[in-house]
Amino acid sequence: MATEEAGQNIRGETPDVEPTVETDEATITDDAELERTIGLTGGLAIGIGTMIGAGIFVFPGLAAGAAGPAAAGSFAIGGVVALLVALPAAELATAMPKSGGGYYFISRGLGTLPGTVVGLSLWFGLVFATAFYLVGFGFYAVDALSLAGVPVGRGLVIPLALLLGAGFTALNVTGTENAAKLQNGVVALLLSILVVFLGFGVLDALGIVGEPTAPTALAPRGYFPILTTAALVFTSYLGFAQVATVAGEMKRPARTLPLAMIGSVLVVTVLYVATIFVATSAFGWERLAREGETAMVAVGRDLLGQAGALAILVGGLLATMSSANASILSTSRSIYAVSKDAILPAWASRINLQYGTPHVALGLAGGPILLLTATGRVQVLAEVASFLHLVMYGLLCVALLALRRDEPEWYDPDFRTPGYPAVPILGALASFALIGFMARLSKVVGLAIMLATAGWYYYYARDVRLRGVL
Amino acid sequence: MRVLVPLAILEGESVSPGLIDLLGTMDVTVLGYQRLPEQTPPDQARAQFEERATSALEDVAEEFRAAGGAADHRLVFTPDRRQSIERVGADVGATAYAVNGATGTVERLLVPLSGDVAVDRILEFVAALVGDRDIGVTLLVVGDDTATSERLEDAAAQLEAAGVDVATERGTGNPFDALVESVPGHDAIVMGQRAPSLASLVWGEEADRVAAASVGPVLVVRRDDEADTG
Repeated sequence: MATEEAGQNIRGETPDVEPTVETDEATITDDAELERTIGLTGGLAIGIGTMIGAGIFVFPGLAAGAAGPAAAGSFAIGGVVALLVALPAAELATAMPKSGGGYYFISRGLGTLPGTVVGLSLWFGLVFATAFYLVGFGFYAVDALSLAGVPVGRGLVIPLALLLGAGFTALNVTGTENAAKLQNGVVALLLSILVVFLGFGVLDALGIVGEPTAPTALAPRGYFPILTTAALVFTSYLGFAQVATVAGEMKRPARTLPLAMIGSVLVVTVLYVATIFVATSAFGWERLAREGETAMVAVGRDLLGQAGALAILVGGLLATMSSANASILSTSRSIYAVSKDAILPAWASRINLQYGTPHVALGLAGGPILLLTATGRVQVLAEVASFLHLVMYGLLCVALLALRRDEPEWYDPDFRTPGYPAVPILGALASFALIGFMARLSKVVGLAIMLATAGWYYYYARDVRLRGVL
Repeated sequence: MRVLVPLAILEGESVSPGLIDLLGTMDVTVLGYQRLPEQTPPDQARAQFEERATSALEDVAEEFRAAGGAADHRLVFTPDRRQSIERVGADVGATAYAVNGATGTVERLLVPLSGDVAVDRILEFVAALVGDRDIGVTLLVVGDDTATSERLEDAAAQLEAAGVDVATERGTGNPFDALVESVPGHDAIVMGQRAPSLASLVWGEEADRVAAASVGPVLVVRRDDEADTG
């Protein structure tokens, strides 16, 4: 039915559009049923598990170095921007509870060109984000080794990160064990470690236990760095949209999707702001900055002795691994989403029958991830990842405005964004504005990727029509 | 009555001829399923395998039709096989579902009645399954207290009234071991579904363990959906 409507790409492939009926428990197509198996806990674990690795375990040192104690404000700004986008994203997800996430909403709401740019940029954005998490893991692994009595030096950060990246890619191609339950456990463990840590830290910061710490100037480097730091640490908020990439697999999507997306943003925002507050008050921002990527380990040692350092190390290893693996999976899914719509060749989403895994897409995720990990440029990796995601977030808000204006017949979301139209308008403006505060190199790389994806559209998928094609 | 026959269709699983014949008195829904690891979106698997799976399912359904009852098929792509069997089972109103296993012509069924299972539903199902065919039934209980004996006698009487050739057996000790010990001389097992428990979480579904230990097919009488959700 949709064949002529949707057009075809340069190879003559057409988008694979199946009419479906969505129920709370399954998606029913003409000949098959797709079971929905992820509940609210699973959705929250995906959102929080993707986000928590960066914000708490990698950024505090870097952020404090750039903005001083006001770094907590940078995280708060990031959280507000994320929330402004999470609300419209949740509405779109309940209107189109399909796997594909932001790409799907934008290609259906705004058309193929924005869709292609976002879909392919998301692929690269996730690749950058995964590389960033892997490098963060490398720092923690080196620290863990030296705590275990094997001082190996920072030269091993990148090799260890590469090893983990290659390992995860291979495991995802050959592994058929369900790691989702493990992910839930990891997130629960992380949250417990953090709650203990924060409880202690807040008491300490208020001077109830331990030595009272001398108050320092809130923003020793001025107020502008608060915004540039917000742009840097926004990578800590990229996970909520990943919930939407599994929208097609969530049980009772009308309820679980908004709760998981908005809930995970709220949870991590509170945790981030509290952690930075504790870290800067207990430790002083200068020392925090000196400790760099694994500053939190030193904070843990300061507050709770060797046990504290160990807890934070374990947490950091688990959190960066969980973020990296979740992002590799999202990358593979984002490749599938565009390949299904004939924006990439159909072979990109092939599955091998032996393991039942999408080996091509996983390879297209893993290869570039390893290349970028090898650069080891934490800040650039993080910012480019945020750049490409923020473009999607901004356009997602625009897509919501466009859909609400036209209200096509099929558009019937179960969740409606409160504060419409102010929330999506602010969300779009904030997303685009945050990009402006990034370092020049990040902006150049991000723009170059977007231009390349637009070029790909004109070369490959100019005749594909996706707007309103459900 | 309807029986759900789950089948890992793309892994080339096929139904044993003995089970097809045994289910000749029943309507059958063949549930083709493909279990997916979490890294594979179900829709991605559908796009690639739907056609192949559907044509294989047509063939299996045709075999069941040839054996007697009405048969249709469903195809599901799922990370959670258990959940799909439950959902589709309730959806088509299946009285029981089958766990595939190797068997020739079925001459005698083993029906364990121990534990918290809906005995009446099981007996009704067994009577309908046997129909007027020459298939014997062995009822098995574990323990020798009065309540157990009564349960066994009542059940035997109920089946005899329906014209079934009934034998009874009493096991001792662990119900699972007693069941496996009684398997020789029987070609298939009909048992009741239990509520999910800690043991089934750790060791896997009881019916699957029974099927693995007994090699033959197992028919599991589903718990009553109404009583369940009520």
